[in-house]
Amino acid sequence: MPDNYVGQRVKRTEDPRLIRGLAHYVDDIALPGTLHVAFVRSIYAHAKISNIDTSAAQTVPGVVAIYTGKDIAEKIGPVPCASALPELKVPDHRVLATNKVYFVGHPIAAVVATDRYAARDAVDLVMVDYEDLPVVTDVEEAAAGGPVIHENFSDNIAYKLTAGEGDIDAAFSAAERTVKQRILHRRLAPIAMEPRGVLARYFPGEEELTLWSSTQIPHLMRTQVALMIGIPENKLRVITPEVGGGFGSKLNVYAEEALLGWISMQLGKPVKWIETRRENIQATIHGRGQVGDIEVAFKNDGTITGLRYNVFADLGAYHQLLTPAIPTLTGLMLSGAYKIPAIQINITGCFTNKMATDAYRGAGRPEATYVVERALDLVAAELGVDPIEVRRKNFPKPEEFPFHTATGLDYDSGDYEAALDKAQQIAGYAQLREEQKKARAEGRLIGIGVSTYVEICALGPSQAMPAGGWESATVRIEPTGKVTILTGTSPHGQGQETSFAQIAADQLGVNLNDVTVIHGDTGVVQYGIGTFGSRATAVGGTAVYVAIQKLKEKANKIACHMLKTDASKVSFEGGKYSVQKAAAAAAGTSDPVVPVGEAPAGALPEPQTEGRSSLTIQEIALAAHIAKELPPDTEPGLSATYFFEPKNFTFPFGTHIAVVEVDRETGDIKFLRYVAVDDCGKVINPMLVDGQVHGGIVQSIGQALFEEVVYDEQGQLITGTLMDYALPRAAHIPEFELDRTETPSPVNPLGVKGVGEAGTIGATPAIVNAVVDALSPFGVRHLDMPIKPENVWRIINNDSRTV
Amino acid sequence: MKLEGSHQLEASRERVYQSLVNPEVLQRCIPGCERLERTGDNTFAATIRAGVGSIKGVFDGKVRLEDLREPEHFRMVVEGKGAAGFLKGSGNLDLEQDGDFTRVNYSGDVQVGGTIASVGQRMIQGTAKMMATQFFTCLGAEAKTEVGEPPPQHGFFRTALRWFSGWLKRFFRTGRG
Amino acid sequence: MIPAPFDYQAPATLEEAVTLLASDPDGAKVLAGGHSLIPAMKLRLAQPQLLVDIARIKSLSYIREEGDQILIGATTTHYQMESSELLQRICPLLSDCARSIGDVQVRNKGTIGGSIAHSDPAGDWPAAVLALDAELVLLGPNGERTENAGDFFVDLLTTSLMPGEILREIRIRKPSGRFGQAYQKVPHPASGFAVVGIAVHLALNDDGSCRSAAIGVTGVGTKAYRAQAVEAALAGTNLDDNTIASAVAHICDGIDPNADLYATGEYRCHLAQVHARRAIQAAKTKAQ
Repeated sequence: MPDNYVGQRVKRTEDPRLIRGLAHYVDDIALPGTLHVAFVRSIYAHAKISNIDTSAAQTVPGVVAIYTGKDIAEKIGPVPCASALPELKVPDHRVLATNKVYFVGHPIAAVVATDRYAARDAVDLVMVDYEDLPVVTDVEEAAAGGPVIHENFSDNIAYKLTAGEGDIDAAFSAAERTVKQRILHRRLAPIAMEPRGVLARYFPGEEELTLWSSTQIPHLMRTQVALMIGIPENKLRVITPEVGGGFGSKLNVYAEEALLGWISMQLGKPVKWIETRRENIQATIHGRGQVGDIEVAFKNDGTITGLRYNVFADLGAYHQLLTPAIPTLTGLMLSGAYKIPAIQINITGCFTNKMATDAYRGAGRPEATYVVERALDLVAAELGVDPIEVRRKNFPKPEEFPFHTATGLDYDSGDYEAALDKAQQIAGYAQLREEQKKARAEGRLIGIGVSTYVEICALGPSQAMPAGGWESATVRIEPTGKVTILTGTSPHGQGQETSFAQIAADQLGVNLNDVTVIHGDTGVVQYGIGTFGSRATAVGGTAVYVAIQKLKEKANKIACHMLKTDASKVSFEGGKYSVQKAAAAAAGTSDPVVPVGEAPAGALPEPQTEGRSSLTIQEIALAAHIAKELPPDTEPGLSATYFFEPKNFTFPFGTHIAVVEVDRETGDIKFLRYVAVDDCGKVINPMLVDGQVHGGIVQSIGQALFEEVVYDEQGQLITGTLMDYALPRAAHIPEFELDRTETPSPVNPLGVKGVGEAGTIGATPAIVNAVVDALSPFGVRHLDMPIKPENVWRIINNDSRTV
Repeated sequence: MKLEGSHQLEASRERVYQSLVNPEVLQRCIPGCERLERTGDNTFAATIRAGVGSIKGVFDGKVRLEDLREPEHFRMVVEGKGAAGFLKGSGNLDLEQDGDFTRVNYSGDVQVGGTIASVGQRMIQGTAKMMATQFFTCLGAEAKTEVGEPPPQHGFFRTALRWFSGWLKRFFRTGRG
Repeated sequence: MIPAPFDYQAPATLEEAVTLLASDPDGAKVLAGGHSLIPAMKLRLAQPQLLVDIARIKSLSYIREEGDQILIGATTTHYQMESSELLQRICPLLSDCARSIGDVQVRNKGTIGGSIAHSDPAGDWPAAVLALDAELVLLGPNGERTENAGDFFVDLLTTSLMPGEILREIRIRKPSGRFGQAYQKVPHPASGFAVVGIAVHLALNDDGSCRSAAIGVTGVGTKAYRAQAVEAALAGTNLDDNTIASAVAHICDGIDPNADLYATGEYRCHLAQVHARRAIQAAKTKAQ
């Protein structure tokens, strides 16, 4: 496989339009006569709606229609949940609240007006009378029998699930030692830079509805919305224009998306809704939200013999698309990078009066990595050994792959020691520990935190996925030789337009600029699954790769025919099919560079093929379209489609090392170093990989130190804007020292694994481990996130209260 | 949100108590109170234009007095809503005589919802404290006047507390804003 | 940004602005940099009827020396304050304070006058102008008056500005003799506002002892204030470490400290002590 572009730091072809402000997001699309929608949302966490009076709102000039749940509840199907867990309770989730509201931000009414201002003004005049009901926001209280949220269920427990292999009870009863720790994973808001947005346009004559939506899954959305609003799937076209980030929050089908489509069909006009940041924090899914106890059984020599995690998952009031499934991903990754013979997870998923949780960058896996990596440090602390020693002790060796875990997975490939060695060497680990000793003697609090993570990517085999885990690609060479790739993985910032073009340009021997990657339009692109779970390159990229091989088989056949030779004598290199030298000499052909021939006006130029010993793939594409010189039984055109079904997930891994210093007086935490060695298999574009790792670590810093969606006891969301919800800023971020090891995946022909979530999975525990390490002279073994300076200050001052 | 505080007023406990349960006095002293009407025994309907600086909203609500033990104690239950959100709360007011003075101790729980709850974290407590101070400052002036005297004009404490003036003026005028 | 409806006027002179404000003292609001008012309008917590935009009045943006004073026009942006060579040279507390505000975008737009007139309990400028004993020039329908910064800040978001009045100018006596200044701040990780902000101006005698100390504190109470007990404990001393440490213990005297999700009142006061100590030490070093 030639490597002209793959492996190079190719600049993103997306960026020129983005940095010049020329890209089109949903809100940049302006259709004449568009009406605007604004939502009335609940200000109560749990209440009965006793009356909705829209009469004053109706009088606002420009108001066209106001829909309430009572008007339309039965006309639109429920918001879908794709998780099929045994005995899962699925509440009837309507697009607008009907009799009750279940969380702050719950949509109650949709106001449609001729402009945004009128719609928003009218929202203030819709009078909703509430009778408030008892609220439950704490997940353990919900599990224990707090006020029942959904009347048709007997309690707030949506499901209970136990999973794992090995004899866990025996592991604990035979354990030489055990540790146990209660661990919180706060709710986080994904905060994509572009909030959600929908534009819907219905053509009553053609009976066609087009939905522009800021989503990660245009095809899955088309299917679900078509079912919800009762339009044939092939009369609904979903287009995702530029999508400004998702982090999992747009891996969903939301009430607003279906409702906008339905309203457009009612009114026969385009309707638009652009989410505000406050709505984004209230009514776009949250991530994490678990509280659990991790228990580890181990031997005196540090060998881990068993691991159990009893966890309560805060699901929120309703299921969104994957809400109940996220904690199950936590269960899958509880073996971490270690050989653990017995593992058990006990999940209790509960309803609370809050927005639903769902996939947020890592989606269940960061929780697993965090508890496992914290647990390894607890084991090290218990044994009084270096945390790295415990990790090495329990790594599977490279020759043990594929490695079967007690969570039922088969890790594809790995060399965990190599990544750890490299990170240790870059960080100068031994010297760091020396410096730490010296600093402690001077009264300074320096901490070193290590995390050796494994993640599960390339989601995934269809057997393991709720709605198919394959991915599709069509590769086409147009008559002019331009290469078009249609991918089902609709990106939202990942850079597939560049990385997929790199794959295609190398495989076809063409210039990168001649490749265009088209995505995110169900009217144009064959069915696909979408971009999430670090799957785009490993599954979608592989589909592109295999489709190209199919296309080349046909091109090869045409080349042989045109070069009047047989396949055994033709080779493809540098974008050309050539008759091998000896054969060419025998056939008496030369290898002149012949330009594409002249053509009469309006006709395609025909390639000159007489006397040629080689033909470019572009010439073959042209010939395939002109179709006068094709081998018998060959279809015209040069295009191939492939649906790739992976046989397994991929398992990237790596080592992150954080070094922090705590200000003894204020509790402030400052980074001194940050080293990350990631192994995501073969690398298509190192710059894109670095970018993904940077962003992931930044979000980890946010989770570890700042971010927390806070609801008060009454279910009021009190971190309602970015004035209170603290996202990490440039000034909070250290310089990253990044490197890689490269262990190819055997799961796909590209050998790639995926890297979209590595940073959020590997970094969080490294940071927390570092702060805990810094505070270990005070007897600290665990701290819950976000680690606020005030809590650190209290610990230093021997005050057990936390805030 | 917990609200607690204590204010010392220069009047007898009986006089302070009478002022505290007198709707006319309350209307004059609750910052931004535009309307306070008796709707039943110890229940009132109110319209309050509340806020600080440029940030304000109109709240319509109900006030109920309970557990009245003149002159030492009563309980106030408040409920209001407006475009900026809602507030609900109840609290105990306890009056102690201390020589020529009366100390009013209050402690209660207020639940705030809607926009003010989700964006106002940093300011809610301060606003509540400020309004309580204004309320008791006004009440002190009211309670000091002898029984039968006409109630003091607003101008009295406006002048006395020059630093309130701009703020209060805006509250006591009508008009949207 | 979808605020409630409002009218907008951009007068050419300050006198016109005053007239416009007087036309609707309840409903009109002055717009300068807009970094406090606009967010409140966006949330519809502020619904002014009329915005009187003074940011376009060119003559209101200046930093200049006049006699023994520094005169600063109300619409001077934080960035202009931060980058003023004059201020960096003769009153660096002002440029240091400016540099700590928000981010580049905020500093390019936000104004010193707007920040002072808004009197946010966590705004940075109130601490600085208090520590510098600034005089504030207020223009209203009845003409001009001046107010000491110490009397200007009344309470949470509340100042002594009367309806219809506009803050026109900030006047600061040029520091002279041997002096040192510092601004220390703990920014809130989300908003960038001061969890605590400490502005210090120390005047020293020739022998290095403290002639006077002025300490403005923001973020801690419902309004910015002067830490008079700390100032008194420093005056006349030689500012040794022990004196400073025991003086700053009084930083919260008489204050009921603010609390939010990030910091309780107790921790806030602790931070105020630590940063007051650091700021006093930094100011002392600069005065050497």
